[in-house]
Formats: sequence, structure tokens, C-alpha cells
Amino acid sequence: MSWFEVPDVDLSQYSMRQLVAPPLAVLVVALAVIGGWMAATGAPVSPGIEFTGGSEVVAQSSAPSAQVKAAFDAEPTSFRSVGTNGNRYLATFQSENAPGISGDTADIEIVQSQEVSPTFGSSTQGLALLGVAAAFLGMSVLVFALFRTFVPSIAVVVSAFSDIVVPVALMNVFEIKLSLGTVAALLMLIGYSVDSDILLNNHVLRRSGGFWESVDRAMNTGVTMTLTSIAAMVVMTIVSYIFGITLMSSIGLVLVMGLVTDLMNTYMLNVTLLRWYKFEGVAK
Amino acid sequence: MSWFRENWRIAALVVLVVASSVALFAPGIGASANTSGQQAATGDPTNLNYGLELSGGVRLRTTVTGVTADGVSVTPDNEGEIATRISTALDVDRGDVRARPATGSVEVYQNVSTSSLRTTLEDAGYSPDSVRRGVTQATRDNIVSIIGSKIDATGLGGAEVKDIETSAGAQAHYIVVEVPGQNASQVQSLIQGRGQVTLDAYYPGSNGTNVNATVLRGDELVEVDQPKRDQNGRPFVPVQLSAEAAQRFTGDMTQYGFTSQAGISNCRFPNGGYCLLTKLDGEEVYNASMGPTLARTLSSGKFVNNPSFRITANSMTAARNLQVNLQAGALPAEITVQNSYYVAPSFAQKYKPLSLVTGLAAAIAVAIMVLLRYGEPKIAIPMVFTALAEVVILLGFAAVSGLALDLSHLAGFIAVIGTGVDDLVIIADEVMTEQVSSSRIFQSRFRKALWVIGAAAATTILAMSPLAVLSLGDLRGFALVTILGVLIGVLVTRPAYGDVLRRLLTTDT
Repeated sequence: MSWFEVPDVDLSQYSMRQLVAPPLAVLVVALAVIGGWMAATGAPVSPGIEFTGGSEVVAQSSAPSAQVKAAFDAEPTSFRSVGTNGNRYLATFQSENAPGISGDTADIEIVQSQEVSPTFGSSTQGLALLGVAAAFLGMSVLVFALFRTFVPSIAVVVSAFSDIVVPVALMNVFEIKLSLGTVAALLMLIGYSVDSDILLNNHVLRRSGGFWESVDRAMNTGVTMTLTSIAAMVVMTIVSYIFGITLMSSIGLVLVMGLVTDLMNTYMLNVTLLRWYKFEGVAK
Repeated sequence: MSWFRENWRIAALVVLVVASSVALFAPGIGASANTSGQQAATGDPTNLNYGLELSGGVRLRTTVTGVTADGVSVTPDNEGEIATRISTALDVDRGDVRARPATGSVEVYQNVSTSSLRTTLEDAGYSPDSVRRGVTQATRDNIVSIIGSKIDATGLGGAEVKDIETSAGAQAHYIVVEVPGQNASQVQSLIQGRGQVTLDAYYPGSNGTNVNATVLRGDELVEVDQPKRDQNGRPFVPVQLSAEAAQRFTGDMTQYGFTSQAGISNCRFPNGGYCLLTKLDGEEVYNASMGPTLARTLSSGKFVNNPSFRITANSMTAARNLQVNLQAGALPAEITVQNSYYVAPSFAQKYKPLSLVTGLAAAIAVAIMVLLRYGEPKIAIPMVFTALAEVVILLGFAAVSGLALDLSHLAGFIAVIGTGVDDLVIIADEVMTEQVSSSRIFQSRFRKALWVIGAAAATTILAMSPLAVLSLGDLRGFALVTILGVLIGVLVTRPAYGDVLRRLLTTDT
């Protein structure tokens, strides 16, 4: 007996328009958020110091947070506590060199620091953008090579695109800055997103059986996969947040957002594109 | 034999897991064996190496300031002349210009514009093929070796200095310095700190005592090169003097009697004789005697035409130390820190158990999901074990190859577990769609599942490969671990899971 069943959703009772509207609306909203962000700040998502240059320190102190913040010689651009045991603080500064600590500093210890020059940051940013673009392009080419038909291939590519764009928009909403960790998460999303899309396409295009039967089987497997990944990432995000491992918690959070988006995109957008291809596109 | 043919995937998985466990836990295996002292101190029971983020220390990424013209017709005869002319025209120190006959390049170790170096060279009658920001490979090698010697001299273990190339960006080369257990400002001042160097003549004075006279100051040694070997295999450090210094040096050496019969090859420091002493901050660090060839060029007056000489050493290490001392620890060109990272060792060590707990928590979440979904322990338990086997194999690989684990690698492990479980779910669902009775039906279903897995793996590998090639520092480790994990998964562990299921679900084998 299994206690967790993939819910049996009968997608065929909805019209194509009904199914495709929500994911497209979400994608449009996400693009609008990113576009608005770009108009306001000049970048699609706020880059962290790894890309802009600046400095960041983790200070450990039993003193109250306001006192720790005031101890730095320069005003931090952001200052927050990390972990849940309440005595570690992450302070970010605009200047390339982390400021010193003055005043009553007996019990403030700098346990971690990072300084990035603006030139190094912009070259890292260039490389990261190049990396994401190359990864996305490579994935698209391979998907087209695997399926050799336009509609099913473009369905995978559009889903993957939306799986990346929606988390990026959400990063702006939740004020998560783009770091090397979140870039890694966006790249992982390409991999995860394509997994369930390929599975769906494979079941519909390469297997015998009716369209809805194939979709049901693919969904059964695919939803299990994605929910398992979401469960793992939610746990990782919470646990690493408690421990104050910021790299892991930001990767986890971006992945959770992307995987949830992927559930919607695969079984609403991708399914509908395949349905159109099977019932109308091919018949012509 | 046929059993093996049927089950070779399971056999391969078992062998790999056992081998990896041995590599992980057996003492004295893997690249960390030579740093076992450190390992004992941290009390880590495994053979894993940890990078800075998990062990604490400093990493500096620096660029070298300079401009280089390539394709200039530099010969051993005109190199000094070119350097002098360019330094005068650009109004920089003679020591900041370097002409290299071997590569046909002229370097200026100052922040001058590429166009002004080009114009200056063309005015002097040379036609460079190209002028770029940055310095030559030889200069970078020299800097890497000097920083390495300076860090070694302080006795800090485990330090690493290397020159890395990035495939894009304005500055294509970085010199990366990693020193465990120190903080950033200490390392920075160690690298950039310099002392006072002099070359002293040590010779018998008129009243029977030994005399010490400074003949050359540090800034008069315009070029001190990396040690080389002469035709007899003896290591030496090439030194070149400025024109004025050469004139004075010739006079001094002749006057003090170094070019006389008694002065040649006759150094018995500190018990008399004729020696050239290298002093750093007033302390004698090296002594050498006058060679016959140098004595001849000095007394003939030809020395000023090509004011360079060699100081030989007994070993390459001694030569390298001498080179660093002659430069008073100064680097030939200035370096700029572009990126520094520091984490306190006590703080970094905490990440290890914490990230282990995080990983375990994620794995338990996966196990619970899988158990809830399938209910059947026959399917769920091998699934969880297979996913964990991939991580064990990857860790074993890390232990054997000496990969220094950082947080980015741990993120890679999590990505591998994620895609791994996805694939195992695909296999399990595929073979369970209907009652599986015969091995043949199983095989055909299994092959269908493998197509999806292979396609998904190929896209993941392709998506990660730009990161593995681009030098994006931290992301490279992540991409490499993910690619490796996906490969191990697709080739060994995931098919083996299929075989395990077949044995558990079918009856006719």
C-alpha cells in the first residue's frame, strides 16, 4: 500500500485555452517584473557583490545587533543575522575593502570575509551570463536533435525558459540577490526541468497508447520525481537556513521556486502544446 | 559466467562502492596521505581533502599590472638598449621595462596605455605585431615562484600559488594564492612586503682585517631572473645592472682586487678571501666568489657593454632563495588583489558536520517520499541505497583524486542525488506499469526507461559543461561534480538498480 498517490487530475476536461492561460499569464507577469526591474535598476535581477564588486563579512558577536552594526567604520548596505542562534551577522559593504571595526569591539570576531573588485565582478558576471546562455542554447539544440520535430521540442525549451524566468522574477520579489550559488541553482533547474519534459514527450510521442493514457502515465512518474525533489530541497533550505549556510539555503530556495513552476509548466503548458500537436498540428 | 553476464552491473556497483569506501576510510590512501599530520589534527576519520571554505584560510585572486608588446625584434644584443630607451621615453624606472629576446616581447610593468607603448616602440624604429594589457608567461611564472618561495620561507604549510587563465574578460590571467589558516591582510602584507637588499664586497683590507663595502644597491639590479642551469647543469641566477652601476661596479671590483689572481674563485667567508655578499636588511644571506670569466670582462672594460653576470648556487632551491633575496622579496611587477576570500578555520570546520547533517536531512526527506509513494520496501529501499551509493562513489573518487572539497562541491552532490532519484523513479515506474513476469518483458521496458534517462543525462551534462570549462571559480567544482555524478549514475548505478529490481520482481532468472 502506498500512502502518497499522485492526484488523479483529468486534464482532458479542460480546454486547451484554459490549460495554457495560467502558465502563460505567470510567464508574462514574470517577464513584466523582470522588465520593470531592469528599467528601474538597469539589471534583470539585483546582482550580489560577487558581480558588482564590494565586500561582505560575517561577524560573530554576543553583542546586540544594533551595536554590531554600528561598530563598523562604514555603514553597511545590508546587514542581517544569519542562522538561528542569533549571534552571527552578515554585513555587506559597497567599498571593495571591508571596513575596520572601531569602538567597543572586544567581542566582535570577523569569521568570514570576501572582497571583490568591480573589474573582477564584472568579468565574473560576463562569464556567468555566458555560462547560462551557453547552457540554455546547448540544451535547446540537444532537445531539437532528440525529438526532431518542432512543436514537442519548442515545448520543452519554452518550459525550461519559463522555469528559469519565473524564479528570477521571484528573486526580485523576495529580494534575493544573484550570486554564484543562485546561478548554479538556475543551471540545475535546466537539468531538472528538462527531465520531466523529456519524460512527457517520450511517453506521448514514442509509446503506443492513447494521448491521455500516455499523459497520465508520464504524470504519475513525473509528478513523483518533482515532488521528491521539492521535498529534498525544502528540507535542505530549512536546515541550511537554521545552520546559517547561506549558499545552500539560497540554492535550495531558488530550486523550490523553479520546481514548483516546472510542475505547472510541464502539465499545463507542455501538455497543451503536445495536445495541439497530436490532435490538430499533425492532422493538417 | 552467465550469472556474471546477467548481473555485471550489480557487480560493478558493489565493486565501486567497496573500492570507494576503502578509498574513503582506509588510512594512507589517496592524496591526503601526505598531509596526514594535518588530518590527525582535525580529527577527520576520512581521507577527504577539504578546500578553503571547509578548512579555513585565505584565497587571493590577483592580476599583474603591465603592458606587453609582442613580435618585437629583440636580440640579446639590443635588449638592454631597448629597455633603456623605452623606460626613458615612457618616464618609468629602468627596472619596470623588460625586453625578452626569447619571446620577442617588450613588457612595461606600469599602468601605461597600450597605445603609448606602441608609439614609443615605433618611434624607436621597432614594429610590434600587437600590444596588449597584461604581462608575459615568463613574468607570471617568475611572480608565482617568488610568492611561493616567500610563503615557503615563513613555514606556512599547504599553501598553493598558481597562474590560471580565464576564457573571457578583460584580464585573462589571474595569479591565485591560497594559504590555509591565515587571514587576508597577513597574507597580503607577506606577499607585498619587501626589505632592503645590498651586494657587498668582502675583501682583505690593507691593515689585515676583512673589509665590507657596499658596491650595489637593490634598485641598481635592474633585472634579476628566474634561476637557470648552465651547460654543466649548475644552477645560477642571472643579474643585470643599470649602466651607471656597471661603471662603478667595474671600478670598485678592480680597485678592491677582485680581478687580480688572488681575488678569483677565492671566497672563504667568514674567514677571509674575496666574496660578493648578498645582504637582506643588513644580514648576510648568500656569499659567492668571483668567477674567472667575469673577472676577465671586468678588467678588459667590456663589462659595461653588457652589464650582466651570473651568481651560481649549489642547488636549485638555493638559487631560488637567492633570487627572492636579491629582489628583497619584491615582485617584478605590481599585483592587484581582485578578489579575496577569508574564512576563520574554527568557523569553517563547523560547516563540515553541518553540511553533512543538511545532506542527510535531504536524503531522509527523499527516502520518506519514496517510501510513501511506493509503499513497497522492495522498490523503495534499493532506490534509496542506490542514490546513496552514487554519493559514496563520488566521495571515493574525491578521496583518491585529492579533490579539495568546497561548499560548491557539496551543492553538486545534492544535484546528483536529485537527478539520481528522478531517474530511479523513472525506472521503477516504467518496469512496474503492469505485472512483470518474465525477464524479457522487463528488459524491453528497462531499455525504454534508459532512453529517457540517457536523454535527460545528456542535457544535464551539456548544460553544465560551459561552467566546467569557464573559469568561474566556485561554480567549476559544482559543474564537474554534477557531470561526473551523472556519468557514474547513467553508466553504473542507475542501470544496476534496474537489475536489482529485475531480480526482485521477476521469477524466471
